[in-house]
Amino acid sequence: MAFEDLGRLTLGAALAAGLAVAGGGALAQSAGAKAANMRHEKFETMGRTFKALNDELKKDAPGKAVVVRHAATINTLAGQLPTWFPKGSGKEARPKSEALPAIWSDAAGFSAAAATLRTEAGQLNQVAAAGDMAAIRIQAKATGQACGGCHRQFREKK
Amino acid sequence: MTTVDPVARAARAKVWDVPTRVCHWLLVALLGFSWWSAETGALEWHRWSGYAVIEVLVFRIYWGFVGPATARFSGFVRGPAAVLAYAKSLGGRASPDEPGHNPLGALSVLAILLVLTTQVVTGLFAVDVDGIESGPLSDRVDFDTGRLFADIHHWSFTILQILVVLHLAAIAFYLIRKRRNLVGAMITGRRRFESDPGLVFAPAWRIVPGVILAAAIAAWVSKGLRF
Repeated sequence: MAFEDLGRLTLGAALAAGLAVAGGGALAQSAGAKAANMRHEKFETMGRTFKALNDELKKDAPGKAVVVRHAATINTLAGQLPTWFPKGSGKEARPKSEALPAIWSDAAGFSAAAATLRTEAGQLNQVAAAGDMAAIRIQAKATGQACGGCHRQFREKK
Repeated sequence: MTTVDPVARAARAKVWDVPTRVCHWLLVALLGFSWWSAETGALEWHRWSGYAVIEVLVFRIYWGFVGPATARFSGFVRGPAAVLAYAKSLGGRASPDEPGHNPLGALSVLAILLVLTTQVVTGLFAVDVDGIESGPLSDRVDFDTGRLFADIHHWSFTILQILVVLHLAAIAFYLIRKRRNLVGAMITGRRRFESDPGLVFAPAWRIVPGVILAAAIAAWVSKGLRF
């Protein structure tokens, strides 16, 4: 091979390597962004469901089936929540994310807050099945406070 | 030759009646409390504060039609010509002797009442981003609409803050430049006049229907317009 060809080959290899690294980096970012975006959708579903539940509970005679359905959704989402925060899925992956770095730096604290939610949401699910609306209203409030407790520590304040 | 002694003629007369003064200072306190309760996340208290504001607003609007001259909207709301003429007089040190809100101050009263009404009404339909805290009428609208009401509720408060700052600046202006103590007058209800304006005030019984109406509306709203 001519000396010039070797030079071009080396340049080409270097470019290819560079692109692979950059491309690999971009792919890793998009996994974090994917997780962050999915998390945002899940939390928004949680918010909508909570509103729907509270709207129903505002009625004089809330419908049991509606309440049970929403409580079940919240319970399911609460169970999934800890899996929504893989490393690298914070603001670095999705700039609009309100996830504070403390989620990962204080993993024990975050885990405890998530566990509190699971407990309260599980309780809500049970109370909903029993059908006592007064008790459901109290437990819905308690579940909301569990959400709030985590948000105060780990979500960006607007 | 007789000369009229201006000091003898000058009088300290009543200009603001009790209901008007109570409404004013209640709104000051409730605005502060609503702000604080929202900032600290005490949303239950925030809602109650809002219902109290609704009560005061309803009464004040009622009083603006049946109260004494200085409380009535017809007593101080003026057209653009009067507003301009008054604005031109602001440069001087003298302050007109007419009792009650001047034409420019009248605009400020209307603006504050309007924005306060917007504030409470948007609050009734608002929902927070988590779907946890919401106004009593928020179940009548969907999540996205409730969020829009919440946004307007926040922007409206910014406008309210600006109006309050302007209001305080105007009061400071009157105190320093015009040597007129408006705060004292809104507390005691009295001020010095060149000559007694001879104001007539409303009979006390008229307060009662207003209070009942205001309380009934606020209670009904707090229950989400349900009985």
